[in-house]
Amino acid sequence: MTVPIALLGLLEREPSHGYDLKRDYDTYFGRGKQLPFGQVYATLGRLARDGKVIVGEAEPGAGPDRKRYVITEQGASDVESWLVEPVAPEPHLQSVLFVKVVLALMLDRSAQQYLDTQRAAHLQRMRELTEVKRTGDAVDALLADHGLFHLEADLRWIELTAARLSVIAKEIAK
Amino acid sequence: MTPLIEADELSFRFGETPALRGASLAVQAGEILAVMGPSGSGKSTLLHCLAGILVPDDGTVHFAGRRIDSLPDAERSALRRGRFGFVFQFGQLVPELSAEENVALPLLLGGMSRRDAIDRARRWFGRLGLDGLERRRSGELSGGQSQRVALARGLVTEPEVLFADEPTGALDSLTGEQVMELLTASAREHGTTVVLVTHEPRVAAYADREVIVRDGRVTTLSPAAAASAS
Amino acid sequence: MIRFGLRLTLRGGREAAARLIVICAAVAIGVALLLSTLAGLNAMHTQNARFGWLETGAQGVSESHRPVPGSDPEWWLLSADEYAGTQIGRVDVAATGARSPIPPGLPRLPSAGEYYASPALAALLRTLPNAELAARYPGHLVATIGDAGLPSPDSLIVVVGRSVADLSAQPRATEITEISTTSPSGCNGPCYDIGFNARSIDLILSVVSAAILFPVLIFIGAATRLSAARRDQRFAAMRLVGATPRQIALIAAVESTLAAFIGVLLGFGLFAAFQPLIARVPFTGTRFFAHDMALSMPDVLAVALGVPIAAAVAARFALRRVIVSPLGVSRRVTPQPPSAWRVLPVVAGIAELAYFVAQGRPATTDGQIMAFLPGILITMSGLVFAGPWLTMIGSRALAVRARRPAALIAARRLSDNPQAGFRAISGLVLSLFVASVAFGIILSFDAHRGGSTSYSPAEQATIVDDLIVFADRGPTAPVRALPAGLAGTLHAIAGVRAVTPLHAGPEFGVMPATTGPPPVGAADPFSVLVECADLVGATALGSCAPGAATAAVADPSFAQLQGPSGAVWQAAPESPGSVAALPLATLVVTTDGTRHAVEQVRTLLAQRMPSRDGFAPLTIAEDRAQSADTKRSQGYERLADVVILTSLPIAGCTLAVSVVAGLNDRRRPFGLLRLSGTPLTVLRRVVALEAAVPLLVSAVVSIAVGFLTAYLFLRAQMSETLVPPGIGYYATVVAGLVASLAIIASTMPLLDRTTATETTRTD
Repeated sequence: MTVPIALLGLLEREPSHGYDLKRDYDTYFGRGKQLPFGQVYATLGRLARDGKVIVGEAEPGAGPDRKRYVITEQGASDVESWLVEPVAPEPHLQSVLFVKVVLALMLDRSAQQYLDTQRAAHLQRMRELTEVKRTGDAVDALLADHGLFHLEADLRWIELTAARLSVIAKEIAK
Repeated sequence: MTPLIEADELSFRFGETPALRGASLAVQAGEILAVMGPSGSGKSTLLHCLAGILVPDDGTVHFAGRRIDSLPDAERSALRRGRFGFVFQFGQLVPELSAEENVALPLLLGGMSRRDAIDRARRWFGRLGLDGLERRRSGELSGGQSQRVALARGLVTEPEVLFADEPTGALDSLTGEQVMELLTASAREHGTTVVLVTHEPRVAAYADREVIVRDGRVTTLSPAAAASAS
Repeated sequence: MIRFGLRLTLRGGREAAARLIVICAAVAIGVALLLSTLAGLNAMHTQNARFGWLETGAQGVSESHRPVPGSDPEWWLLSADEYAGTQIGRVDVAATGARSPIPPGLPRLPSAGEYYASPALAALLRTLPNAELAARYPGHLVATIGDAGLPSPDSLIVVVGRSVADLSAQPRATEITEISTTSPSGCNGPCYDIGFNARSIDLILSVVSAAILFPVLIFIGAATRLSAARRDQRFAAMRLVGATPRQIALIAAVESTLAAFIGVLLGFGLFAAFQPLIARVPFTGTRFFAHDMALSMPDVLAVALGVPIAAAVAARFALRRVIVSPLGVSRRVTPQPPSAWRVLPVVAGIAELAYFVAQGRPATTDGQIMAFLPGILITMSGLVFAGPWLTMIGSRALAVRARRPAALIAARRLSDNPQAGFRAISGLVLSLFVASVAFGIILSFDAHRGGSTSYSPAEQATIVDDLIVFADRGPTAPVRALPAGLAGTLHAIAGVRAVTPLHAGPEFGVMPATTGPPPVGAADPFSVLVECADLVGATALGSCAPGAATAAVADPSFAQLQGPSGAVWQAAPESPGSVAALPLATLVVTTDGTRHAVEQVRTLLAQRMPSRDGFAPLTIAEDRAQSADTKRSQGYERLADVVILTSLPIAGCTLAVSVVAGLNDRRRPFGLLRLSGTPLTVLRRVVALEAAVPLLVSAVVSIAVGFLTAYLFLRAQMSETLVPPGIGYYATVVAGLVASLAIIASTMPLLDRTTATETTRTD
């Protein structure tokens, strides 16, 4: 689900070949789980079909796939709106949060603002769960607590990240 | 609707160290507001300014339409005593006094007779699940019990605003939740406005709304922005 | 471990440093006082021994009369001269040979026409006109007496050389074979009333030392409790990470031993600095030679080693709780209240004194001291022991009645830990007790014995030359008439108002044959006859009825005359001529009271008509001041003053340190109360009440017990009742209480600071 937007984000940085995109994706977001070439080209094809990237002319060179991909206006605005939009707070969304933060930093966007928005969203959800806990029965409370603790873990990570943003930004900018 | 407490562009420095730089905040009557932020962000200083404990170097604080930061110390003390309640992290109970006397203390300070004050104080013990602990000393209470006694003390004067500075900071999560449960329930029941300083999200989740203090400024998100996420 | 303890002590931050400094100061003051007491005892014994040679010739001294081979006997006459209210010891000597014994401080015996004087007297002789002093001593001053012969630098002593023929004719002169070395306290039997009885002084001094050292011990105790909570936490934390009780005890012992060691060093320094000053305090009625205020080697060793060892042991005891539990003593629960048994010692002490009231006092001085001293000491320590219980009772009563929050908090804290509350003021309680006992006894004493130290002008202006000699058969009046021209010479002295010879009638000194009170209207056996013309101007004696030529008046040598006598004497049957022919009982010279007039009269009388009892002619005021009772009560008063003056400031320091320690213990709850809008005045009131309530309760109790003790002592020892104390006592008490309240008030800025917002925030 995050692969297309991640590739778009990488393309917004600079026009790239499919191979480079895969390599960058693996470096920044793969973390031990490589993106298959097939999925890269399938995704890029879908993005091109939707008018979010343009496939450039194949360059003369060694391999068969020396096509450059360039992001369109539409693609760029997709990245933009995705970045500022908070993710629906639910457990196991670290990867999305993570991608958002790293991309925002990479693209010199306000990661801080994103984190604040995200925190607000998280807290809103936590308030709802707290309400459930208060009004619901014990099983509801148990479930709500499960959610609350996971959300809290996210928020802790968010706080930590917010506190470390400048350090992380330096690391990524290299 | 005019806010009950309104702080505008507050600045405060401890010697060379700025704690607040242009913090603005509005607290609506009856609302429970969580003030969050990392350690050293100035959230406690903000609370102290709102409660008239500290006088900001710059900026204004209005309470119920009246400017309070320029009041003399005695009047601010009287305001704190009469219209505000406080709960701190720990160590606020006078060790020599029994639990009920601790709760009755603000009433006594307000000039109530001792018998009436103790009577009023005792009513809170049942409400906060403290039955049977009236005569205990603070050293004979558990952390959660101490905080509930402190909460009773903060609420016994039926203040308009309860200022709580990390009220669960010294408690485990379950005990902390109980205290927060009682705090918010009592506040809602009495329509008490609560300003709650905490760094714990799960504590902040008991509030109606939260603001973040960062580098001495207050970041408020429109509820809409937060709502759009869910 | 020892080095670690040292580092903790010295580098433990500001609080540890403040703690160390206060403990050192407390120990230093204690050590200085202890050394002063020891040195004072030594000085007193040295001084008393120096009085020994003046006992020469007394019947109670064994040495003077036994034959000493190889020694020529010597004529010796001791008499008491006086100058401006100070006694001068006068010894007239006449050697019968070259080997006559020489008193200490003299290179040789003065020959006839020479005299030796003490430096203080020599200075007076130099500065005063001859007619006021020097003319009393025949011959000229050859040299001053050395220190070996002087009890005090201020001693006024003169050794006058006379010829054997001249001196041996004097009625009171004796022939002696050696100089006495027996001190007045060693004299057994009739002794000259010079110096003092060191046995009673020793015991009184031990009460005084206890009264001074008690407050010091309490002060040291209070100092070690300063920031003890934080130290205990530290020790508990060390226990938690595995330090053994032995190690903690060692570290604590290092701290207190170090403090004690520094304190001892400072104490010796303090003593050395104040030694000359202390020597000036006339404990015995006259000051000491500074070099007499010396410490013996055992004294020095005992203090230098004993105090640090005692400190280490005390530290070990104070740490019991921390050592037992690694969790320390931070959790606060209601401590065991003191029980009513604590009043037992006070009751026992009072009962002991009361027993002697019922039983009568023991016969000997030693027995009396053994009887009263323990009673007073037990009562005194019992008061301190009972204090916490009293504090608890008082504070519980206050807690029940408290309407204001300040009173409630203060009362609760006191009833919670009355030991701590009382400790702060126990020094003051002791001072008040000692002051009450001392003043109670002294003032009652003065009131009953007329030993008051204030005299009327008439008493100060009237010189009485007592010419009666008491023989075995009763008093006789050997002087037949005034020497020719003496009356005229006396009148020629500026300031002399009246010269009144009092004559002994034929009935003089004849006691009525009956026993029991004399019948009404019976003649006073000691009344004397006077010519009314001579009585004019003699205000101390009274006046004649109008038209009377002669009268019988009370002899001032026997009667207690106080103030200008308003007495009007009825005419006597004798004619003035027959009165003038009677032998002289007393010569009374009335002056204007100036020193010049009094001393010139005295000098003239010493030359022309010396009194027969060994005392120079004295004014009525001087005579009463000379009495042993007056001297003793002055001595007590000085000691009481010393106790009060030293113990009050120490008690004040204790109070300040305790209040500060109490504040430090509660900085957080107080600070947070202040944040929540509690006015500072409420917190101030709490602190003030916490100290003031036990102070006032205990002050009342200790004053009451003090007076009861004084009353019992007076009843048992002198069968007298207590006289309500005068303004001086109340002034002392009020000054002490006001000073204490001022000390409490002086800690208020600290309260303001420890509860200030910034302090509380950063805690």
